[in-house]
Amino acid sequence: MAEAALRLDGVTSGYGEAMVLRDVSLTLLPGEILTVLGKNGMGKSTLLKTIMGFLPPREGRVHIHGRDVTRLPPHRRAGGSVSYSPQDQAIFQDLTVGENLRLGLRSDRGAAAAVERVTAFFPFLAQRGRQPAGTLSGGEQKMLIMARALLSNPRLLLIDEISEGLQPSVILRLAEVLRRECAARELTILIIEQNLRFALSVASRYAVLVRGEIVDGGRVAPGVEARIQDHLAV
Amino acid sequence: MRLPSQRFRRELRILIMLVLCGLLIVAVGPLVLDRYSVSILVRSFLYGSIAVTVDILWGFTGILSFGQSAFFGIGAYACGLAFDHFGISPGVALAALAAGLAVAGLVALLVAWLAFGARVSALYVSVVTLVLAIVFVQVIYAGGNFTGSSSGLSDFDTFDLSTAAWFRIAGAGLVVVTALGWIFVRSDMGSLLVSIRENETRCRYFGISVTWVKGGLLLASAIVAALAGFAYAGYNDVVAPDLGNFQFGTQLVIWVALGGRGTLIGPAIVAVLVDFVSAYLSGSLPFIWQLIIGGVFIVVIVAMPQGLGPACVAVIRRLIARPADAAPVAARLIAVPLRPTARGAQTPAIQLTGVTRSYGSLHVLEDITFSGRSGELVSLVGPNGAGKTTLIRCISDGEERTAGRVALQGCEIGRMAPERCVRLGLGRKFQAPTVFDALTVGQSLRVARSRIERLSFWRCADEIRLPEAAMRVVRATGLDTQLATTVRHLSHGAKQALELAMVLAMEPSVLMLDEPTAGLTKSERTVIGGILMELVAQHGLCILLIEHDLAFVREISSRIIVLYQGRIVLDGAVEEVASSELVRTIYTGEPQALGEPV
Repeated sequence: MAEAALRLDGVTSGYGEAMVLRDVSLTLLPGEILTVLGKNGMGKSTLLKTIMGFLPPREGRVHIHGRDVTRLPPHRRAGGSVSYSPQDQAIFQDLTVGENLRLGLRSDRGAAAAVERVTAFFPFLAQRGRQPAGTLSGGEQKMLIMARALLSNPRLLLIDEISEGLQPSVILRLAEVLRRECAARELTILIIEQNLRFALSVASRYAVLVRGEIVDGGRVAPGVEARIQDHLAV
Repeated sequence: MRLPSQRFRRELRILIMLVLCGLLIVAVGPLVLDRYSVSILVRSFLYGSIAVTVDILWGFTGILSFGQSAFFGIGAYACGLAFDHFGISPGVALAALAAGLAVAGLVALLVAWLAFGARVSALYVSVVTLVLAIVFVQVIYAGGNFTGSSSGLSDFDTFDLSTAAWFRIAGAGLVVVTALGWIFVRSDMGSLLVSIRENETRCRYFGISVTWVKGGLLLASAIVAALAGFAYAGYNDVVAPDLGNFQFGTQLVIWVALGGRGTLIGPAIVAVLVDFVSAYLSGSLPFIWQLIIGGVFIVVIVAMPQGLGPACVAVIRRLIARPADAAPVAARLIAVPLRPTARGAQTPAIQLTGVTRSYGSLHVLEDITFSGRSGELVSLVGPNGAGKTTLIRCISDGEERTAGRVALQGCEIGRMAPERCVRLGLGRKFQAPTVFDALTVGQSLRVARSRIERLSFWRCADEIRLPEAAMRVVRATGLDTQLATTVRHLSHGAKQALELAMVLAMEPSVLMLDEPTAGLTKSERTVIGGILMELVAQHGLCILLIEHDLAFVREISSRIIVLYQGRIVLDGAVEEVASSELVRTIYTGEPQALGEPV
């Protein structure tokens, strides 16, 4: 069996006294796309923060590409192979679109080609390279975050509710881009979503989080949407 | 669950005990301390009082002032100048005090006017207050013999009071200022200060005159500082430019940081201790005492980044933990009917004529003209970057548009600031959740309603009155079980719901909602959609809604406007717009994503 791109063993984590995640275990193989679904406040964003190291787990271990990163700070986890696209608009408002993109890169070598590759996904980014990123609309900022996350050719990509505020046609394009990147480069993706249709159109597997525990999961197949809706409606 | 007033009363009992202890110490101090210590402590107590005002300004409200020293200096010079030039008499003393407080107050209002405009950053007030302290010193230098220039004034006749009496006056003053400040920051008004620190824009859109609140606070703290300065000069019989310079202003800020921002008692104690110890060390260890103080400062900042106050409180809590203290505190929610609005259905609720917004040569909005009536839910759709949010901004802030006219409920908004538009009935929900991270859910709802129900300066209300619509949003999203939760710990979707509930709590008649249901589950969206329709149909609100989910838009709108590249390309009935070819091509990319009516 290939080495897992991401493995969580019995991870428990939370803020202060409150435990948000309880004994969560999951494994993602290279090239897989897993979507984690759940209602608000069930621990979805906390899961990503724990994987990235912004929130150290109380118990359990986190492995990325076979390396135990449980005690590593976020910037050392990100180390080139992991990209994180957080939910809160994480752009540098006063920098230009181009500068925001270049921050996603480790070095200037090959920067132009890399920027060209990701701006092909969202062409407006190329035209507005010199515009301050803070003047982009909410949806456009989301696309900038996505482009920046893909820029460094990550092997593992963590995405938190990217479809929020995007127009339907952009969501469709985004799904296509992610699937293509995944197939072409064995990119592994963990995606958190509220938009069920988008999530299931991208992901190969799903997991449902209820009060910090994974209560259901499996391959995305016809008919799972209704089953997931049941979990979300409770 | 405890009520806010229960916690407040319990804390008040502790406060009263502390006040009594403080007064007792102040009363017996001169009897047990040596003469030198007593005379030093008079000054330390006065400094402590100003440190408390700096903490209310900076720790609670986020106003970092380096010029609190200047107000102290103004008070001191009012005393020194009057006694030096006119001699001492009750009349002169009273007139000098009144003049000192008046000048300090006027200068504070000038600073507020310069630094608290809607469009200047929070850093600006720090720069203005820094300059204020420098200007103060220059004015004293320029005064020649009248002000004593750089050597100041000394040896003037002053009050005939013993050191022990001054000790008791200054000590009691410190205790009273700290206690009043403490009651103030724990009252409902205190949560307003924190909400201003956390998100000033959101406060303005609740109709809160942030400039006035901050200005009033600066005025009050200037008067306290001037009073302390007056006492200082009256006691010490000497005034010098150093009393008002920015080095002293900065020292006050450092004491507050050391004592713990937002704790009041921490900064007061640290100010007294550091000043007192410094005076001793500067005598016995003249060359290295500043090194020692600096070293202590570094150790505290590294080991206790929150300051000494919170670190001590944590230790005390661990020693005398009581289960009652851990119980969550939240007020009760009470549903109230919407206040009837006396608005004619004839005037449009929103009226835009030729509204344009340009950044240089780039036109984000061009010649937008439309109106929305009461009882109408108008949805605004269009691709990302079409100008939807900018349009809402132009309707709710008079300074935003480049050209054109906007009227809300028949009143032209001209160049009105958001807080004045709110008074015309406007309510606005932002695109990204815009909430007060440091407040609890209950406090946030209370602050949101502050324009309708005034906040108390000395009490905590046990009831939060919410109109039915806000109440239903709170219940449908489970926020009613999280009233005691700090907003920082809410999930993204819960923050969205909270902001919507806060906006509804203001009882607006014109409601602007920018993607209000993003991040919420389908069932929550359905509930909120129902609430919006009801507000429109039964209460005659006019709602302008930005939303990407066309199926949702179809279900709840009375009318749809399509915005594309800054222009209105379609404005019509729901079916007509939603089924138009134009919408399919420019918006969804492909027809089947449109969503069929359910």
